[in-house]
Amino acid sequence: MHLKNLLKVFFSLILFCFANEAMAQRRAVTGTVADENNALLPGVTITNEASKVSTVSVVNGKFIIQAAANETITFSFLGYNKLSQVAGDATTLTIKLVPSPRAMNEVVVVGYGTQDRDKVTSAVDHVTTKDFRQSGARNPLDLIQGKVAGLNLTRTSGSNPNSGVAVQLRGAVTVTGSSSPLYVVDGIPYPNANILDVLQQDDIESIDVLKDGSGAAIYGTTANAGVILVTTKKGRDGAPRVDYSSYFRKEYVQRRPDFLNANEYRQRIASGDINQEDFGSSTDFYDQLINHDNLSQNHNLSVSGGTNKTTYRASINYRNLEGIAKENGREEYSMRLNLNQTALQDRLKMQFNLASNFNNANLLGGGGWESELTKNPTLSNYNADGTYRFDLTSTNEYARLFQETNRRKQQTTTASGRADLTIIDGLKASVFGSVVRDSYTDGQYKLKASEASMEDTDFPGGGYAYRGTSLFQDFAFEPTIQYDKTFAQKHAFTALIGYSYRYHIEEGHSADNRGFINDLFHEDALQEGAALGVGKANINSFKNDNTLIALFTRLNYAYDDKYLAQFILRREGSSRFGDNHKFGYFPAASLGWVISKENFMQSLSAINFLKLRLGYGVTGNSGFENNASRVTLGGGGKYLFPDGQYLETYGPNRNPNPDLKWETKRELNIGLDFTLLNNRLSGKLDLFKRTTKDLLDTYTSPQPPFIQSSIYTNVGSISSKGIELGLSYKAVKSGDFSWNTDATFSTLKNTLDSYSNDQYKVLYKTFGDIGGAGALGNAITTYEGGELGEFWGKRFAGFTADGKWLFYNRNGEKVTNDQINISKDRNLTDLAKIGNAIPKFYASWGNDFHYKNFDLRVFLRGKFDFDILNTTALSYANKTWSGNLLKSTFSKYNQINDTYQYSNYYLESGTYVKLDEVTLSYTFRLKTKWINNLRVYFTGQNLATITGYTGGDPDFVLDTGTGPGIDSRGAYPSTRTFLLGLNVGF
Amino acid sequence: MIFSAFVLLLSTVACKKQLEEHAYDQLVADNFYNNKTEVLSAVLRPYTHANAWVTPSGQDGWWRPAELSADQLAWPTKGRHGEDGGKWKRLHYHTWTVDEGGLNNAWSLMYWGMGLCNDPIEQISKRDIAAMGITQEEKDSYIAELKLLRAFHYLKLMDLFGNIPVVTKVGEPAKPETMSRAEVFNFVETEIKENIDKAPKMSRGMLGRMSQAGGYAMLVELYLNAEAWTGTARWDDCIAAADKLINGEAGGQNGAMALDPNIIDQFKTTNDLSKEVIFSIAYNYTVADFEPSWPGEFYHFKQQEIYGGGRNGNDGIVVIPGVYTTYDEKDLRRSDWLLIGPMFKFTDPTQPVLASEEYNGQQLVFVDNIRKNKAGSTTSNMSEGEENSGVRFNKYKLGNQFAGPGGVPAIDPNYNNTDWNVYRLSWIYFAKAEAIMRKNGNIANQAACDLINACKSRAFAAADWETRAYTPATLTMDELLAERGREFIFEGFRRDDLIRFKKFSTGSWWDHNPTSATKELYPIPQQQRDLNSNLKQNNGY
Repeated sequence: MHLKNLLKVFFSLILFCFANEAMAQRRAVTGTVADENNALLPGVTITNEASKVSTVSVVNGKFIIQAAANETITFSFLGYNKLSQVAGDATTLTIKLVPSPRAMNEVVVVGYGTQDRDKVTSAVDHVTTKDFRQSGARNPLDLIQGKVAGLNLTRTSGSNPNSGVAVQLRGAVTVTGSSSPLYVVDGIPYPNANILDVLQQDDIESIDVLKDGSGAAIYGTTANAGVILVTTKKGRDGAPRVDYSSYFRKEYVQRRPDFLNANEYRQRIASGDINQEDFGSSTDFYDQLINHDNLSQNHNLSVSGGTNKTTYRASINYRNLEGIAKENGREEYSMRLNLNQTALQDRLKMQFNLASNFNNANLLGGGGWESELTKNPTLSNYNADGTYRFDLTSTNEYARLFQETNRRKQQTTTASGRADLTIIDGLKASVFGSVVRDSYTDGQYKLKASEASMEDTDFPGGGYAYRGTSLFQDFAFEPTIQYDKTFAQKHAFTALIGYSYRYHIEEGHSADNRGFINDLFHEDALQEGAALGVGKANINSFKNDNTLIALFTRLNYAYDDKYLAQFILRREGSSRFGDNHKFGYFPAASLGWVISKENFMQSLSAINFLKLRLGYGVTGNSGFENNASRVTLGGGGKYLFPDGQYLETYGPNRNPNPDLKWETKRELNIGLDFTLLNNRLSGKLDLFKRTTKDLLDTYTSPQPPFIQSSIYTNVGSISSKGIELGLSYKAVKSGDFSWNTDATFSTLKNTLDSYSNDQYKVLYKTFGDIGGAGALGNAITTYEGGELGEFWGKRFAGFTADGKWLFYNRNGEKVTNDQINISKDRNLTDLAKIGNAIPKFYASWGNDFHYKNFDLRVFLRGKFDFDILNTTALSYANKTWSGNLLKSTFSKYNQINDTYQYSNYYLESGTYVKLDEVTLSYTFRLKTKWINNLRVYFTGQNLATITGYTGGDPDFVLDTGTGPGIDSRGAYPSTRTFLLGLNVGF
Repeated sequence: MIFSAFVLLLSTVACKKQLEEHAYDQLVADNFYNNKTEVLSAVLRPYTHANAWVTPSGQDGWWRPAELSADQLAWPTKGRHGEDGGKWKRLHYHTWTVDEGGLNNAWSLMYWGMGLCNDPIEQISKRDIAAMGITQEEKDSYIAELKLLRAFHYLKLMDLFGNIPVVTKVGEPAKPETMSRAEVFNFVETEIKENIDKAPKMSRGMLGRMSQAGGYAMLVELYLNAEAWTGTARWDDCIAAADKLINGEAGGQNGAMALDPNIIDQFKTTNDLSKEVIFSIAYNYTVADFEPSWPGEFYHFKQQEIYGGGRNGNDGIVVIPGVYTTYDEKDLRRSDWLLIGPMFKFTDPTQPVLASEEYNGQQLVFVDNIRKNKAGSTTSNMSEGEENSGVRFNKYKLGNQFAGPGGVPAIDPNYNNTDWNVYRLSWIYFAKAEAIMRKNGNIANQAACDLINACKSRAFAAADWETRAYTPATLTMDELLAERGREFIFEGFRRDDLIRFKKFSTGSWWDHNPTSATKELYPIPQQQRDLNSNLKQNNGY
């Protein structure tokens, strides 16, 4: 093997000499590239296959490349068939590219490598730049909201620039373990979405989602909630490119909760409808928190280019996001550098990626909505003398904006390197290493005159300062060996074997102090406060780590590109697992059958491509607390020691569980990929059934003999099954006009199959805290064997003459609340299933219209057939509340003369369709060699919501996890957004 | 070849050792008990835990079921607050079920505390004293103290649930069996007797801990209730145990144990200086941030303005209508331990404290009734309260953190340091008096009167006292029960008193009607029975 290897290197060297010789006869070949309609195409990659030199066509499709007459030039452009042509003697070439019948060459990222989309046997969704939502992503996941069937993204904090996205793929897979998908950014594995901070939308090339277990198994114990792989843009050989993108965005409040204004409130007092005080002022407290002058902006400048040996791409990004709330923003700078180098006669390929994000987040504003909506509007934020008005039972949220600061300065950096060495043809050894370093410093200060300071009881009027720092580091080292070989022309094998080492460590500290003599120091001289000396200041620090180690292998086999098979096995261990279960095995197998390649299909011209997929895979979840299996001692507070000192006391705070292990998900997926009707209709259909067993939860342990009332252990199982459909249809294509439409649809049933075993029994779990006054408890009860998200509660039966609640008991009789049996035993209880918070259907519908230089996109998405608990009405359409009330208190809810009750009375259908995005763009065709492309666009986002729901924006209500469907009483305002953007390339 | 070498290499690398778990900021059981301070920190752990269950802590521990099912205290629904799933009503009306979350929580907290005794008993017993850095004498005394404290847990568990499992080792047996109340009684009595002499006497150094004094107080409680709990009266044993304390044989936390001279020293911020406290939870906010958690139970949302401090509450537990008037007008306990009437600001008594709910913007006025006065309603029951309903708790004092008008009174430097008394000598006096009377055919004698008068006289000015002292003729059993109520209100004994006086299930008070005798024990929580099939349910559930 070694000898053969050496010979290869030797021959390569000889060939290289010949290649130099040929160069002498080259001359400049110019030309133009156009599409099938003779529209000139900029951005086509043109490569001299002999010299390996590439260039890119400029505006008007013009190009120039050095080539000898006998050399082959190839033209490649996404969405078009690759065209190869011998240069010949002509000095001018006119090239016409034909659209590829389907994106044949589309490559999807599958983890530790890529695959040709046609050969994929598991459920993978691939979303590229052109499909991204254009509304100015706050988080990269915003780009694909509604684009991937089965992937639910919910923004419970709306457009708050400092908030994340709730993500759930194919239903809830865990109750207490990590529910975050694994994120893999250019190969860097990361267990949560924090890594997305380093990604800017203009740097992202594609996002791939491994939806089923047969694909995700390669990531073992971190893949239960799915895997999201992000690929960034890379340098390409050819002429240097400079691209600049920017947008400006403005937001306007919509769907503001409909509370009384001061005059209306006054009238209600006067008419005796409510028995409250008129304090004489008229204040719109909510509006005082709104930043009407908000303007967000984003600027991205990138340069890229290279030679056939070296390519690079570098970008810098500036972004300033201003929330709809005052003192609620995020300003950030990002840099990203990608460098690719080929060496050792093209046998060694190296890639380096470095990205860093510096952000300065203003965390002060963005909250307090509930308190401001529900204050008596005849109060004022000011006293008569112009000072801020404080009282003990509420917070002056407006004054906080001027009297407090709360900022986070964060830097997230990712660095990775990869080297691929081709040892012999087909055999490639790779090594990949990465570091992610996320650090931040938080600072808070509350002025001496601020409410929090004035109302502090230890140091009234002494100010408050806080400083905290945290550092999170993740290291990965993943060597792999891959061997590709095709036998007898039809048997194609790819074998991959690898090792993975991942280490996470986090540490930090924080301190606060009070009792300052003036406001000059802020949080910059904590030691100056008096509280430290008398033990009323706080100091904390923490540090913990965990390790994952795995060996994995993947084998792909294809017979004549017709019969496909993939096998995966990963053996993985985690430091978190109990002593008796340090390592687990995660196998997967999937098969594909490209039916359209069969002879009997050739006569069916309506079917261009048809592939059937069948996959089964096992994944795990190691996302739980460190040291969860061991007996740790916990501090019980300080107590009096015999010497008169108060020192910390310690006792066991955890029951041991040496059997603690991962949650295991088993998933079966059947899929169909198809392209029909002369390549006009394409799509994919997936059916899945997944069961997670050994669910982790805290179980009540018998006391005695255990000390603690709970033990963290693997008992239950949860499952989901569903259907996902993605369709893409080229509806109209005539002359200058085209219309493409895409749709996704998914439906799911998520069941808590069991929550008990011989030792631990839990017949039901309750979720979804109703919150508010009255300690109403949890709204959702999930019985063993029942569906997730079921609301269980009283059934409203009307009111008594004096406005007291009546509910139906189990016999259907109307009774008062005290006669309702609230037992959880379904044979006794008067409570009933009154709704379900999980949408039965999800759908989205995108339309792209193209006319000459204009493009119009209209994107709608919606959730169907589910219920939301309208908590705002529950708490604030009831005259029991002493502050401001919803207007509906006096119409729809005017019969109530009783305390708060949770029943189906407050459940409403949440079904909605949202006009999520409308983008109109214009692409200039400039006759200049200085500008490659120029596009301006105008986007409106969240323009309209069609729904019968009377509470907040139903889109913001959590529909993921085990406790969905409880609307917030103080939701971040829903905003309608307008954005003006520009893309220009030089 | 390369493949196999690679596999071999990686198989050896991916071994268990690399997956060893670290604990940088946590303590793991194996590397503890290396010095005396660590040993003590384990011995003292159950006391900070007892804060949660033995005091009105804001959690469902022993205290709430011991008080809120009786005739003095209740947590009525007040407007939008306090419905809380009906749990307070079920305690008040004795309609609790086997699924009661609060009772399960009480069980769980108390057995947890018991486990925090079992663990160090086991650990200290099996370890080498040299390795722990303590003497044999210290070891014996720590174990005796922990065993007394464990007996205290079982005593209070038995008080609520009667028939319970007794376990003295962590984790074993897996499914302990129910012991009858009589057997538990014997276990507790035996444990106390076997360990009381090895435990230290009460002293300043044992403040806040279980000592010989606490041991005798437990015996007094056991014997006082022996007839009610086991059917066998133990009045002489009760008197004998009480005498140990009354005669100061078990030590005292500030010199010789004696009744405090007034009704204030036991409940003020410096009540660690009280002479009559036998066992307490020793709070110290000044140096340890360890403060009483009862404000949450008793205080109004704006209580801090009333007492010039920093703590507010949930406007929860109030005195049942009519209890206030059982106090004599001249009784200092009425004016000092209870809050009623219009409230004024501590820092400026010319200014009213403004209410924040039904009476938002108007002066807060606590009233001796529970009904919707604002709406002119006269319906009085657990559902019909308002924010100012009911007379309020003011027995223990937290201390003012703001100076009064003109700097008087000055800021109390000991604010939030107030200890919670589990046993105090007054209660022993009352217990002995009761034992004497019961032994004497439920008739008082002068000795019994002297004991009660010694306590009660502190609550009256000298001029008022003469006419109010008990004589054998006036100190009837009913009067004794009433006087116990006045003296020990809020202290956690009322349910036991009513049971002993046979009023708990047969009596009526306010809107509470008689229930059945089986309610004298709470049910074994169903959740525990689901986990341990060897637990038997009490009669009537």
